[in-house]
Amino acid sequence: MTSLSLSLGPPALVRLHDALICLAKFSETVAIEAEPDLLRLSALNSTKTGFASFAFEKGVFFEAYSFNSSVNGRSGSVSLERFFCQIYNKALLSIFRGRIDRNKDTAVERCDMELHEDLQQAECRLTVKMICGLGVIKSYKLTYEPASVQHAVFDKSKATSMWTADPRFLKQLIEHFSLSAEQLDMYSDSGRAVFTSFTTKITDGKEVLKHPVHTSVAADKRDFQEYLVEENMHVAINLKDFKAVVAHAETANATVTARYTRPCKPLQLEYRFEGVNAEFTVMTRGQADSEDVPTSTRGTIPRQTPAPVPISAIRQRDTRPSVTPSTQMPPPPPRSRSIRPLNGSSTQENLSQKPSADRPVASGLSMEFDSLFVPADDDRQWDEMNEEEEPQDILGWDASGTQDAFGASIRDAEPSFSKHDGSRAEEADDEMGLPPTQRLSQVRQYGLFD
Amino acid sequence: MRFRTQLRDSKIFSKLTASLSSLGKVCWMRLEYEVIRFTIIPDQGTQVWASIPVGTIFDDTTYELESNSDAINIEVNISVLNRALRSAWGATHAQLRLTKKEKTPLLALTVLASEWTEGNMALATNDDPDGFGDDPNSEEAPADTTGDRGPRERQTWITQEIPIKILHESAVEGLHEPHCPDPEVHIILPNLAQLKSISDRFTKLASTDSKSRQPGVMAPDAPGMHSVSFGGAGANTAATALSTNSSPKLELSANMHGSLRLAIATDELRIASVWSDLVNPPLDPAQMTQEEMSQLPSELNRKREASEAFDFGWAKVRIDGKDWSRVLSIGRLSPKVVACFVNEMALVLYVYLPHNRDEEESCLTYYINSFTT
Repeated sequence: MTSLSLSLGPPALVRLHDALICLAKFSETVAIEAEPDLLRLSALNSTKTGFASFAFEKGVFFEAYSFNSSVNGRSGSVSLERFFCQIYNKALLSIFRGRIDRNKDTAVERCDMELHEDLQQAECRLTVKMICGLGVIKSYKLTYEPASVQHAVFDKSKATSMWTADPRFLKQLIEHFSLSAEQLDMYSDSGRAVFTSFTTKITDGKEVLKHPVHTSVAADKRDFQEYLVEENMHVAINLKDFKAVVAHAETANATVTARYTRPCKPLQLEYRFEGVNAEFTVMTRGQADSEDVPTSTRGTIPRQTPAPVPISAIRQRDTRPSVTPSTQMPPPPPRSRSIRPLNGSSTQENLSQKPSADRPVASGLSMEFDSLFVPADDDRQWDEMNEEEEPQDILGWDASGTQDAFGASIRDAEPSFSKHDGSRAEEADDEMGLPPTQRLSQVRQYGLFD
Repeated sequence: MRFRTQLRDSKIFSKLTASLSSLGKVCWMRLEYEVIRFTIIPDQGTQVWASIPVGTIFDDTTYELESNSDAINIEVNISVLNRALRSAWGATHAQLRLTKKEKTPLLALTVLASEWTEGNMALATNDDPDGFGDDPNSEEAPADTTGDRGPRERQTWITQEIPIKILHESAVEGLHEPHCPDPEVHIILPNLAQLKSISDRFTKLASTDSKSRQPGVMAPDAPGMHSVSFGGAGANTAATALSTNSSPKLELSANMHGSLRLAIATDELRIASVWSDLVNPPLDPAQMTQEEMSQLPSELNRKREASEAFDFGWAKVRIDGKDWSRVLSIGRLSPKVVACFVNEMALVLYVYLPHNRDEEESCLTYYINSFTT
C-alpha cells in the first residue's frame, strides 16, 4: 500500500506546468518518482541520449506533501522509500494548461494530487483536484502505468570542465543558429567560449545549396559567471535538448551550470530555483581523444551514434548514499493491462487539449492579418499570407482572439459534452466554425444530429 | 577570384533578402564592380531581377572584387542568407567574403555584435576553481555572488558560413530578362501595406469561400476607396468545387487616369476595391524621342478622355493571389512601385528603393504573368 498526497499553490502550479512543457520536449511520457522528501519528474528520450529530471523539494515547493509506502509496491518499487510510475505527459499538460489566469473568479487557488497504490485494487489512478474560486472544484483521474524509472548516471565530482551562465545570455547565443541545425559543439579557444552549430545530415555532394549553414558564436569568457573549461576540447550535444533547457531556465530565471569531462561522456546541465532542482544529462559526441580538433568542420564529425547514456535505476547522489542498489533490477511487468491514458473513463483530460494547443498561435496570426490597417513597423506583415488560419473568420474583419478563448473555456467547463460522443466531437473540432453555444444533447431532440 | 566587403546596412540587406526569398529559394547573385544583381527565376510564378548599387548594402570603401570576367556569379539559397543576416542586426562590424572550406565555396559572414551588459554576466572575482566538484546543495545561486565587474560592453563574434555554388560565366550567359510588349498603362501603386492587406483579404475570402461554402461578406470601407460586394447566397455550390484546387486569381486593372481596381470573383462573391487619383508617371524623355513616345499605347491611352466608356482604356491582368502576396512582401522596404500593365498578358513592376540623392537608384523588376480566364 503506497499513498502520496500533495498540495500546490498557484505559483508552484505554474512551475510544474513549465517543467512538464520542458519534459515534453524529451519524451511523451513523464516518469513520476516519489520519495519521502521529494517528488521527481523525469523523462528519457527515445534514443536514450537525453535525460531530463526535475526534483521538487518537499518543504519548499509544496504546500503539503506526504508520502507513505509499505513493502512491495506493485509499481516496480521494491524499496521501501520510493514509488515509481509513468504518465502520458500530454494528459498532465492538458490539466495544468491555462490555469494561471488570476483575474478570473474561478482561478485555481490550490491543486491537490493524490495517488493510492493498492495491490487489492485494479485501478491505477492519479487524482488531481483543482480547487478554484467560487467553490468550483475540478477533478481529474489519470491512469498511470507502473514503470521502472531509469536515471542517467552523472558523477559531478568527476567533472573536469564547467561553466555557468545566465539563460538569457545563452538564448542570445542560440538565436544565431539556423533552425535546422541539429548539433551544438562547444569548446574554449584562447579566452573565448565558442559555440558552433552543425548538422550531420548526409547531403548529396551536388546539392550544395542544401548543405546546412555552419554557425559559430564566440563569446567572451567574462560573459559567463564561471568558465573553467579545458582548452580546445570539443564536445557536441543535441541542439534541441540545449534549447529546451535554456528555454525553461529562462522562465525560471535560474543560472545554468554545465559540467562535463570528455567527448562521448555525459554532460550535465543543472540549475536550481524555488525548491526545484533541474538536471539534464545528455550524451556528448566528438572525438574521444581530443588531440585532433574534430568539430569545427562538418566533414570530420564522425557519423557515429553516440553510445547511449548508461542507464541505471540508481543515481549516485552524494546526498543520498543510502539508496539501495536493488532498484537496478528491472521489475517484471506486474500485469499485462496496457495503459490507455486518452481513452476510457479519463476523457476529461484531453478535452481542452487540442483546441487550446493550436489556437493561441492561430489567433495570434489572425489578429495580425485581420487588421486592415496594420501597425507600423511590423515586419511580419510582409510575409506570405498564411493559408492555415482558421477558416471561420469569414464573418468579419475583426476576428479577435476572444472567440477562441471562449470556445476553449466552454469545452473545459462542460466535460460531459464529449462524454456523450467523444470521438465525434473531437473530429468536429477542426471544422466547427464557431464555438458551440449549446450542448449537443440540447439540440439532439430536434433531429438535426441523429 | 576574390570578394570581400563590410556590410553597410544589414537591415536593408536583410529585408531585401527576406522579400526575395518569398519568391524562390535559389537566387543567382551577380557581384559586379558597381552593382549587385539578384535574380530569382522560380519554376512557376513571378520572377524578379534586382539591381542594387554596391553602396546601398555594402560599404564602398571596403568593397573588394577580383575576377577574370569582371563579375562573380554565385548561386545561393536566399532564405539561408537571410536567416544568417539576422545575426548582423545591430552589429558594429559585419563582413561578408567569399571563401572555401574543403572544396565547398562559402559566403562567410563575420559579425561582431556588441551589447551593453549590466554587469551581472561578468565573471565573479571570487569564483572558486574547485567549486564545481562540490556537493550541489552547497551551491547557492551564483547570480548572487557576481556583480563585482560593472556594466561593460559585451562583445560576441558570430560566423555564419553559407554554402554556395560558383557559376561559370557561360552558365549564366543564356539568362536574360523577359521581353514584354509596350505596356498600355503605367501607374504608381498605392501604399503597399494597404494594397497587400486588401489583396490578402480578398484571396482569403475567395479561398475560404470555396472551402466552407459559407456566404456572407463584409467589405472594407475606407476613405478614398469605393468598395462593392455581392453576397452570392444562392450561388450554385457544386461549381465551387472546381475552384478549390487552384488558388484564387485576383483581377488587377488600371487606366491612365489614375485609377487602379483590385477585384476578385468567384461563383459566390464578387468584390472590388478601386483607388483613384493615383499618379501615371511621365516617361523618361532621355530614352526616346517625343514622336516615338507619343505612339506608345500608354501615351495614347493618356490622351483619351476620362469620360469615355468606362471599360475603355483599362488594361487588365489576372494574377495568382498567393503569388501577388509574395511579390508585395517587398513593401517592407517602403519602395516606390510603378506597375506596367500589358493587357491580358503581363504585369511588370518596377520597384525603386528609397535612396539618398547622390546615390544610384536600386531597382527591382518583377515579371508577373497574367492568367487566362
